[in-house]
Amino acid sequence: MNPFGILIGLVTFAIIGLGFPLVIRGERYFGYWLWVYIMSIGFLIIIASLFIQNDWASVIVGVIGATFVWGSTELKEQAVRAELGWFPFNANKVKLPFADIIKKWKAPHL
Amino acid sequence: MNMAINTLGLVAAVTAFLTIWLGHVAVRKVEAEARDIRPPMFIAIALGLITEYCSLITDNLSLKTALGILGITLLWDAFEIYRQQNRVKHGHAPANPNNPRHAKILAEHPSATTLDLLKRDPIGRSVSPEEAPKLITH
Repeated sequence: MNPFGILIGLVTFAIIGLGFPLVIRGERYFGYWLWVYIMSIGFLIIIASLFIQNDWASVIVGVIGATFVWGSTELKEQAVRAELGWFPFNANKVKLPFADIIKKWKAPHL
Repeated sequence: MNMAINTLGLVAAVTAFLTIWLGHVAVRKVEAEARDIRPPMFIAIALGLITEYCSLITDNLSLKTALGILGITLLWDAFEIYRQQNRVKHGHAPANPNNPRHAKILAEHPSATTLDLLKRDPIGRSVSPEEAPKLITH
């Protein structure tokens, strides 16, 4: 009867909450092409979690990675929300490296 | 130096991703179809609590982790069903005119719409409320 799973569930919930500003601010300042970077960072973080021996630390790092991967799938829709005026729209976005190439790829959306 | 692989973080990551995805899709579907949102909210809360109890009593650490995350997601999904109804009232999610509850929302909330204004790709500029419906592509 140890509450490790329940505590992990609550910590996961808190970490995913941090994904909201990541998606909102990320899209506002960089545009939805950020999805490639966010997704790549997420997978790298998840891989890093495999090498952490402490269970708590491994889980927290893994969930941070999952939040990045999930956030990458939300960026395109967030860009539309900003265009609709549901969130502040920023016309002067910082141009990311390879943005022109990434633009030609289909952004993930779940 | 012990370089054994610890898969617990991966289990948590995969569980978090899949349960959020499932909840994301299920909440929208259930809220659009339910005539009364209270029964599905109650079911989500009950399933969430049962899942957390199962996480508490199992000895397998991976299962404990996965069930713990799934349970909290289910509890949050109950609240998301309520939030989804508010999105429909604001026109941020499409109303289902065949659902009597949504038909009532459409009648009482001028901002509600049957259109899914998010169903398109970004175009890179601000869009007026008049132009937004014309851009829906699929």
